[in-house]
Amino acid sequence: MSLPDRIDPRPPRRIYRWDLDKTYLQTDFESLRDLFRTAFQKAHEKVAIPGASALIRELAEQGDSRLCIVSGSPKQMRAVLEEKLKLDGIQWDEFVLKDNVGNLLRGRFRALRGQVGYKLPAILESRVHAPVEAEEVLFGDDAEADAFIYSLYADLIAGRVDERVLSQVLEAGGVYPDDAARVQEAWKKIPIADPVRRIFIHLDKLTPPAHFTPYGPRVVPIFNYFQAALVLLADGHLTAPQVLKIAVEMVQTAGHNIITLSNSFQDLLRRGLPLQQAAIALSQAMEGPNALLKAMRPMPDILAAFSKRLAALGTQPPPPRVQAVDYVSLISHALPRTHKARTLKPPT
Amino acid sequence: MVGKPQHITIAFDVMGSDHGPAEVVRGAAQLSLESPHIHALLVGDRPVIDEALASIKHNGERISVHHAGDFVGMDEKPGEALARKPESSVAVAARLVAEGEAHALVSAGNTGAGVLACKRHFQLIPGVRRAALATVYPTRGVRGAKQDPFSLILDVGATVEATAEDLVAFAVMGSAYARIISRNERPKVALLSNGVEPQKGPPRVVEAHQRLSQMPGLNFTGNVEGIDIPRGTVDVIVTDGFVGNVCLKMLEGVHDTVMELAQYAYKESLRWRAGLAMLSSGIERLKDITDWEQYGGAPILGFDRIFIKAHGRSKARAIANAGKVAAKAVANELGTAIQEGLAK
Repeated sequence: MSLPDRIDPRPPRRIYRWDLDKTYLQTDFESLRDLFRTAFQKAHEKVAIPGASALIRELAEQGDSRLCIVSGSPKQMRAVLEEKLKLDGIQWDEFVLKDNVGNLLRGRFRALRGQVGYKLPAILESRVHAPVEAEEVLFGDDAEADAFIYSLYADLIAGRVDERVLSQVLEAGGVYPDDAARVQEAWKKIPIADPVRRIFIHLDKLTPPAHFTPYGPRVVPIFNYFQAALVLLADGHLTAPQVLKIAVEMVQTAGHNIITLSNSFQDLLRRGLPLQQAAIALSQAMEGPNALLKAMRPMPDILAAFSKRLAALGTQPPPPRVQAVDYVSLISHALPRTHKARTLKPPT
Repeated sequence: MVGKPQHITIAFDVMGSDHGPAEVVRGAAQLSLESPHIHALLVGDRPVIDEALASIKHNGERISVHHAGDFVGMDEKPGEALARKPESSVAVAARLVAEGEAHALVSAGNTGAGVLACKRHFQLIPGVRRAALATVYPTRGVRGAKQDPFSLILDVGATVEATAEDLVAFAVMGSAYARIISRNERPKVALLSNGVEPQKGPPRVVEAHQRLSQMPGLNFTGNVEGIDIPRGTVDVIVTDGFVGNVCLKMLEGVHDTVMELAQYAYKESLRWRAGLAMLSSGIERLKDITDWEQYGGAPILGFDRIFIKAHGRSKARAIANAGKVAAKAVANELGTAIQEGLAK
């Protein structure tokens, strides 16, 4: 009896899906100049958003998760983006980039800026190969349509969106027929399950958090990755020492301090996220003669500041209301910014 | 005394202003976007603040909230209201500043309640017997590196009966404030009297004149008359709270009357309307440079902590600017500057 060629990796228990620009990387493409600068940046010149790389590394620590990246950056940037991820010590399992040259050559101009027709089929096709029990956490930003696409994806595979609504959304979103067909095909292959636990939206443009209320409490707008780490601690994806490591990286490399971290903590509490237990776990993690924790000098002060912020609230705000998402009425969230005001013609 | 902090936290009394809590929250949100080194501590009804904050652009890393379930209304008597409402937003905000949770207080609410809350929670700077409420008034001339078209008048109501010693302290405080906020290296300071001669005025003004003339480091220019206030002859005008308040109200009354007359003229005659239309760009420019909203608010001077009283009608921009003025006073250690000035 011969040995198999390779040992199959353990099936993933968790899948973390990340966008890159403005979610993982600090990227400016508000002007043509920014766009050119971004396109010609070398790997070492690209800067990750504080705490993002630490968070990805800590999430990978358990060894039973997959990191799937779907970015709107063009395929031509693969080498430099992969190099950047390697520099940050990040290992990925899937890395999908947009075929912008292909879209241009085929005259698919709507696809150049459109997100629904690109990201939705990409993540659905990825889910086809995932174990049905694998739960997911998704990371996006407020620059484009991530909250809309990720929520739609979650509700599609959970069976909460029907074919009629999906067709309306794809049509209103200006999705080309072949991309719409990919969405339908992949969706039908996925067994019904409800695996998406959280959708984090990095507030790169500081969009008011209430903008995301229609998506329900699954979508958590975040000002920084310490906030994501706190929620993931409460959700059981991270341990308290791991959250402390992320916080320390943010303090040491990005100028965060007691005030910004404790304000971030209180911001989530005020939005009704149940983080009291997470705060207790952090306090307990600080106890004991741990050399690593001793290096985290500001941490005891931060925890004291947390307690004060918690006490300052008076009564605990109620948790956010769970509600069905009305995708048809939210379609404007999914359109490229310059097109939102326009009346859309049906795709040809 | 508060040292020079790297990050400055300003406590905002969110409740009690004429435009309601949403406007103060908007001002603090604007501040959170414009000034990375300033943090806002919003004190007031937490659900109301949260609702307002969630729907506007802000930076959540630079804002925190402290719940206070009560507030003092504009029409309430300060002493009675504070006694009845110890957990009112202005009292809680002043207490938080005193406890070191924030470096300064900004309020657009009831002025008397603000001053009284500060009296209860803050300490007077050594050498200061009574606090002074200062205000800025638009003038003909500009002053300091910032080219401010305002002069500072104090006291305008905090201390109704001031002694000569109080007037001297007010002069030192006003000079320090003008030096720091208007970046005016040697602000000209004068006493308000009924004549420019040193012996003119009531005994306390004459005595204060004598003492101020002998103070080194203070650019005391003598007495000025009421007519010099709008002329902007000096940068800081010192008087007691009674006279200051009467002057301020009279100046506001004159301003309102001029506006009413202009409106009357606009309606009454086509020729006058045409004249006003031709002057409109000039009037707009004048409005811009004398816009009190850019100045943010009036300081209460004399305490070991900073209190900026924003106008009750303040909109978001004025609130944000009041926060910036407060932060500037903290960063430049206004309290220490006053203390040093008094020690000379």
